[in-house]
Amino acid sequence: MIRPSLAGIHPRPRGRETTLLALAAAALLTGWVSLATTQAGRLSAGDPHLLVIYLVAAAVIHVLFVVTGRRTDQVLFPAVVLLGGISLLFMARLPPSLVTQDAGPAGILTLAPLQLVWLVLSLSTIGGLAILVRNDTWLRNYKYSWAAAGVTLLVLVFLFGDEVNGVRLTLRVGPLAGQPSELLKIILVVFLAGYLAENRALLAATSLRVGPLDLPPLAYLLPMLAMWGIALAVVVVQRDLGAALLFFAVFLGLLYVATQRTSFVALGLLLAAVGSVFLYAVEPTVQVRVAIWLDPFAQALGSGFQIVRGLYAFGRGGLLGTGLGAGLPSPDGTLAVPALATDYVFAGVAEELGAAGAIALIGLYLVIAERGLRIAARGADDFRALLAAGLTLVLVLQAALIMAGDLKLVPLTGVTLPFVAYGGSSLLGSGICVGLLMALSDAGVEAPAPPQALTRGERLRARGRGVAGRFERAVR
Amino acid sequence: MNRGSAPPVRHGLARLAVAVLLCYAAVALGLGYWQGLQAQALTNDPGNPLVAALRDGPRGRILDARGTVLAQDVTVGGVRVRRYPHPAAEPAVGYWSPTLGSSGLEHTYDADLSGLAGTSPVDELLRKFGASTASPLDVVTSLDMRLQADAVKLLGKQKGAIVALDPTTGRVLALASTPSFDPDRVVAPGTGPAYMAGLSAPGNASPLLDRATQGLYTPGSVFKMVTAIAGIGSGAITGATTYPDQPGEERSGFVVDGFKVVDGHHDFTGDTALDFVQATEVSCNIYFAHVGLATGAGALRDWARRLGFEAAIPFDLPTAVSQVTSGGGPLDGFVDDVELANAAYGQGTTAVTPLQMALVAATIADGGTLMRPTLVDTVRSPDGTVVQHTEPQVWQQVLSGAQDAVLRAAMTGAVESAWGRPFAGSAAIPGVQTAGKTGTAQLGGSGEPHAWFIGFAPAAAPRIAVAVIIEQGGHGGEVAAPLGGQLMGDWLRLAP
Repeated sequence: MIRPSLAGIHPRPRGRETTLLALAAAALLTGWVSLATTQAGRLSAGDPHLLVIYLVAAAVIHVLFVVTGRRTDQVLFPAVVLLGGISLLFMARLPPSLVTQDAGPAGILTLAPLQLVWLVLSLSTIGGLAILVRNDTWLRNYKYSWAAAGVTLLVLVFLFGDEVNGVRLTLRVGPLAGQPSELLKIILVVFLAGYLAENRALLAATSLRVGPLDLPPLAYLLPMLAMWGIALAVVVVQRDLGAALLFFAVFLGLLYVATQRTSFVALGLLLAAVGSVFLYAVEPTVQVRVAIWLDPFAQALGSGFQIVRGLYAFGRGGLLGTGLGAGLPSPDGTLAVPALATDYVFAGVAEELGAAGAIALIGLYLVIAERGLRIAARGADDFRALLAAGLTLVLVLQAALIMAGDLKLVPLTGVTLPFVAYGGSSLLGSGICVGLLMALSDAGVEAPAPPQALTRGERLRARGRGVAGRFERAVR
Repeated sequence: MNRGSAPPVRHGLARLAVAVLLCYAAVALGLGYWQGLQAQALTNDPGNPLVAALRDGPRGRILDARGTVLAQDVTVGGVRVRRYPHPAAEPAVGYWSPTLGSSGLEHTYDADLSGLAGTSPVDELLRKFGASTASPLDVVTSLDMRLQADAVKLLGKQKGAIVALDPTTGRVLALASTPSFDPDRVVAPGTGPAYMAGLSAPGNASPLLDRATQGLYTPGSVFKMVTAIAGIGSGAITGATTYPDQPGEERSGFVVDGFKVVDGHHDFTGDTALDFVQATEVSCNIYFAHVGLATGAGALRDWARRLGFEAAIPFDLPTAVSQVTSGGGPLDGFVDDVELANAAYGQGTTAVTPLQMALVAATIADGGTLMRPTLVDTVRSPDGTVVQHTEPQVWQQVLSGAQDAVLRAAMTGAVESAWGRPFAGSAAIPGVQTAGKTGTAQLGGSGEPHAWFIGFAPAAAPRIAVAVIIEQGGHGGEVAAPLGGQLMGDWLRLAP
């Protein structure tokens, strides 16, 4: 099928998105003035160029959406813009020297400008995917290739990963460094959506009874066990408890949606429990995490330091917060909460915006959840539905996991708060999720074409995919 | 692909949405817990770097009701130090030291004084635009430093406590406890720790203890007013109740389960079977033992609870729990009728704080209404804007005005009548009808008894109620009652 050429593009107004973006921009500008006023001690707009660049970037992408005329979701993008804007405000408010990077001709970039670069790249990723992706075969037909790529990535991290703070997360290629688990979780969702869409009828209908347990048939049990194994490997290899928990939670969520069999979920939770006990027994880091989760104040100056300091920040904020810029991120010259820009960004935002602002933040993630699941429900077929649900889960469960960790509801894990925490990999990964969700939301995205007369372009592309295609057939 | 047998994905998505919503609800509840319920506790946690950062910050003043400064920051040689111009206000005002911690009002109101407390939401919102993150507030107490100094002077070198309050509002006017300490020496850098060590050394009569709110003493006969409230309130007795056997028992002793309650200090009443007012005037142990038994263990404790017993009194300073009995016995906590009879006239295992007994006097003074006791009138910013204002609040409606009238008459008679004068007449204020009740609490062994007095004045329209105790001071009528009368008289002159 030939895609319309440039001449075939029909601009389509996106009134809802325009309105929501305007509201988000107004809120962010107000926030900027509030921050500058607090810092200057008198009414001031400070130097707003960072925020202006950010808002202009968002506006340009919005205009591109309008011009290209795709019928994609109009709420997701403004929600992300608001989250990213809050992130920018907060990074502009933290000590700039927290992160610095030599950007060559651009000079040395500090925390807020760096975050701005990543935010704009993230928004561009969303824009690019939402406008350009019109076809899902490249995801649908190559699930085992994606899975293989994911495992390869994991192996690469294991072999070449850098350890930072005892967590082996970062992979370095020349000057570029990234955290592959951000990509891994998307690959995982693609694989699961493909696998479950294909096999869900069988999974839902048949079972293997072992005593009281209602197990999936053995052939289908194996991938499930493999998932469990991968999650454990992530913990052992990367020492990354958060990613493992997230992987497994997303897996269970999708498994339930696909089969709607509670016995599978129960079995999954049982496996998770067994895995947890096993990890607790063998991994000292896990033991420490659990101990400081149960009583951080017992080790207030030791291993529980971060949690305790985080709770102080929440307490300082109270219901209405101290106001932007009036928090005390570094009362005595050092950072009040370690990792305030990354793992503990939620505590920092909650200090300055209070429970009211933090609940608004929660609301934004719920908006993303609602839009994402709605896109899933409207999905043209099972694959798209499961893919959309999986991408949504990756975002909202990750947000819930770190927010709950900051609040000492669950053991603290090092996952990032999507679109708010500092960090390029996370912002790009989250951008890919939202970009794909928006592409999936367009009812016009074609279902896979029946395998027949290929166009010349498709033949070319098919040749490129030859290796992967053979791999797919071999695995099946 | 066989899709017929699998349920629609839609249904699974709906349940997934509910699960996500529950996760987020949990996060929101977590926020409410830490940012709402626990916010103040976290902010005041000594480990909080915020507290350390503000430790060197300025601190609000503590004032008495007329604006007299009781605690303030002064700059000496460029260094800010905490100064207490009136040591007589200790231990109520307390001390605040960056190294030794804090006590008294300095401790209770630390968040306000340091400026860390949340103010009203509107003020808080306005404050967000200020450059400073803390705004120290002044705490205005209900104490009147003139009366407070008077109370401390009256106690002199004796160990004891005086509580004086306005019975119609519950405002505490004086809260004295001796011996006390010099807060300026506690907070003095360098020498403070040594001074503190000396204060808490054994055998030094615990000058850091606030006897007024935390000292627990055997009450002796002042407790008869609690028994009377229980008896009249429960209907077990009226003002006219007499016990025909009582005159005889004065001579032979009142035998309860083989234990003999004896009196012997009012031979002049002879064969008169005393009524309630007369029994109060002469402080008849046998009469009140009868009242206690007639009222019953459960009712006595129940009415005592309404007066504040058996729970820490909600107050601006920590309070000890007063008890009717140490409990554990089969008879509603009492071991037997003997303990009940003894408790009814204030012996037994009864133990009370001076503040508690002042509240008993205030209840009778205020027509049976117990006002919640308060020590702080307002919390305000340095420019005078009131941030927090204490309104008088009825804590318990203990008795009706009609029930209370006979109790007032009895306490007035105890000071003013011919029969009462030998016992409590020393409390009488010249020219003013005075009401009161003395107590002489036997401690067992050879030590001198505790001397007690509770009272109020003027009897018809009380403006002040007091409780006085002198530890092992002797007879209440000789040692404590004159102090109570003097203090009340001084107050009526100071605040006409």
